[in-house]
Amino acid sequence: MPVKIDYRHCIGCKRCYDLCPMDIFTWDEEINMPRVTYEEECWFCGICWMECSKRAIDITLPASLW
Amino acid sequence: MALERIADRVVETDVLVMGGGVGGCPAAAKAAEKGLNVTLVEKAKTERSGHAGAGIDTVMDFPRDGVTLPQYVKYWQERHQFLVGEGRAVNPNIGYRLGATAFWSLEEMEKLGLPMKWDDGNYHWMRHLWFHHAKIFLGVHWFDIKPIMAKIVRKKGVNVLDRTMVVDLLTHKDKVTGATAVNTRTGEFFVIKAKAVIIATGAFARSYEPETPQFYKYKMRYHGAPGAISGDGFAAGYRAGAELVNMDIGNCWDYRLRDDIIMPYGTLAHGDGIPGLVLAWTGQEIPYPNFKVYQEVERRGLDPVYRSIENFSEDYHKRAEVAIAEERLISLKLAEDRGFDPKTHRYELMVNKPHNFAILSGLYTDEYFRTSLKGLYAIGDACSGVASCGPAVMSGLLTADSMPDYVNEAGEPVTDEAQVQSQKQTALAPLTVKDGVEPMELECCIRYICERYVGMYKSEGKLREGLRRLGTLRGEFLPKLMAKNPHYLMRCLEVRNIMDLAELHILACLERKESRGNYVRTDYPQRGPSRDNMLTFQRLAKGKAVLEIREVPDLKQEYAKEGK
Repeated sequence: MPVKIDYRHCIGCKRCYDLCPMDIFTWDEEINMPRVTYEEECWFCGICWMECSKRAIDITLPASLW
Repeated sequence: MALERIADRVVETDVLVMGGGVGGCPAAAKAAEKGLNVTLVEKAKTERSGHAGAGIDTVMDFPRDGVTLPQYVKYWQERHQFLVGEGRAVNPNIGYRLGATAFWSLEEMEKLGLPMKWDDGNYHWMRHLWFHHAKIFLGVHWFDIKPIMAKIVRKKGVNVLDRTMVVDLLTHKDKVTGATAVNTRTGEFFVIKAKAVIIATGAFARSYEPETPQFYKYKMRYHGAPGAISGDGFAAGYRAGAELVNMDIGNCWDYRLRDDIIMPYGTLAHGDGIPGLVLAWTGQEIPYPNFKVYQEVERRGLDPVYRSIENFSEDYHKRAEVAIAEERLISLKLAEDRGFDPKTHRYELMVNKPHNFAILSGLYTDEYFRTSLKGLYAIGDACSGVASCGPAVMSGLLTADSMPDYVNEAGEPVTDEAQVQSQKQTALAPLTVKDGVEPMELECCIRYICERYVGMYKSEGKLREGLRRLGTLRGEFLPKLMAKNPHYLMRCLEVRNIMDLAELHILACLERKESRGNYVRTDYPQRGPSRDNMLTFQRLAKGKAVLEIREVPDLKQEYAKEGK
C-alpha cells in the first residue's frame, strides 16, 4: 500500500481526511481514525504526508510506479 | 415550491464559481469584495485543491523590462506555436488584456494578501523559458498558497461548498441560470440558482493512458496535471451549449521527464537562464529536442536521452531544491527513496505524447472571458488561451471585477424544474445500478481508445475506428455505470465528462486534415495552409455535436497600435 498510516502516532486530527484532493481516505468512527479506502486513486501529490503534524503518514512508491 | 421537493438543498446566489483552485479562489474573493453574494463549489477541499494544491514556485506572464504590449502579445502567441505551428492558435485579444492589466492584477493580488515578494522583500523576476531576454516570470514562495487563498475566500464571506461536484449547468432560454451539484460524501443533491456562473475547473487531463501498468490510474504523465481534473467545466459548459475550441490540440511538450511526478526539477532550471544540457546516452549533446529530433535519435540508436544539471554550482542545486519543495515537496522524498540525486544522476527524458488539454483547448471566450453563452464565464485553464497560475489569477480577478455590471442587469435566475429533475436523474442513477461497470474500468477503456486510436500519430482509419468503439462503449456501458456510494458517484460523473470530451477530441482530430507543430496526421503529413488561423469550434445544439472550422479573430485595431 503506497499510503500508510501509523496508528501509534495518529492523533485523529482529520487533516488527511479533510484535505486529500482525491478523497482516498474515509473516516472510521469506531476508532476515530482515518482509513485508506480508495488507495488505487492516489496520485502521489503528497499533501496528506506534508500536512500531517505527527508524521504519521508515509508514502512509498509501489513497484508499478518505480 | 417544488424545487425544494426535488433537491436536498436550494442555494440562491449572485455568482457561482465552479472550482476553488488558484483561479477560482481570487475570482470568488474579488466578486464578494464587490458586494456580490458568491458561492464557490469545489470538488475536493479548497485548502489543498487543484493544480496549486501542493504549492507553486513561479507565476508567469507579467510584461516587465520595457516589454511593449504588442511584443508581449507576440511572445504570448509564440508560446503556442510549438504546439500548433505558425499562425494564431487562440484569441490574441485575451493576451493583450492580460498584459495590459498585469500590474493591476499584481496590485490586487497583494491587496488580497497573496505573498508576491521574495525573501529579500523585492520581486524575484525570472527569465521566460524561451525568450530569455524578457523577464516575465515571477518567482514566488507559494508552498502554502492554497491554505492562504482558502482563508481569504472565507474572510470575504464567500459561501464555500467543499466536496461538491457540479453535475450540469442550468439554463433558461439562452442564459445560464445556475447549476445542479452533488455532495461527494453525503450524496445530497443541490440546486444552485445563480445570475452568473464562472467556470474555473482547470484543464482536462484524464483522456490518455496513465503510464502505470496496473493500479493508480489517476496518476498522470505530467505533474502539472492533477488526478482530479477530469474536464468537468469543459463538459458542463459544452452540454449547456457553450462553445469549446481546439479540442484537437492537446498539450504536448517536446520532452518530459521519465519520472516526472517523482522528480520535477522546478521552473528554475529553465527560468533562471541556465540552460540544462540534453545528452544522448553516449554523451553526445542533442540540440533543442522535439519529437522529430527524437525520431532521428531513436533511428540512430542514441536513446535514451538525458537532461543533465550535474555540474551546475552548489548554489544552483540549492535553489533548484527550494523550487521543487515549493511546488511538490514529496518529490524530494520519493527521489531519495529511489536513490536519485541530481548532483550525480541525470534525468531521463522521453518524447512526449498529448497528456492534457489546457493551453489552447477550452471554452472559447472573448477578452472579457465571456463564453458563447450568456451569463457563463471561463477563466484559468478552463478558458482557451489562458494557461498556468499567473494568468489564472489574472483572468479571475478581471472577470470578478466586471461581474457587478452583468449581475445587476441579469434579473432573477429562472429555473426549469423539468431540467432539474432530469439532471438529478442522470446524476443519481449509478447509485441504483447493480452488476454494472465500475467507473475506473470504463475510464480506462476510454483512455485506452484515445491512446491507441488517437495518440501522437493520427490517421483517418484509426480515428474512425476509435470513434466507433467509443460510440459502442457509450451505448453499452455508460447507462451501466454503478456507484456503491457517493464517492464512486463522483467518479461516475467524471467518466461521463471524460466520455463526452474524448468524443469531441476524436471528432476534432478527424476534421484537422494536416500536420502542424506537434499535431501529426500521418495521412496528411504537410501543413495545410488553409487551416492557418482556422480553429475547430465545437458545441452541442439540439442534442447534436456541431463542429465548425472558422477563423479566430486577429488582434483588434485599437489594441494593435497601442504601445507602452
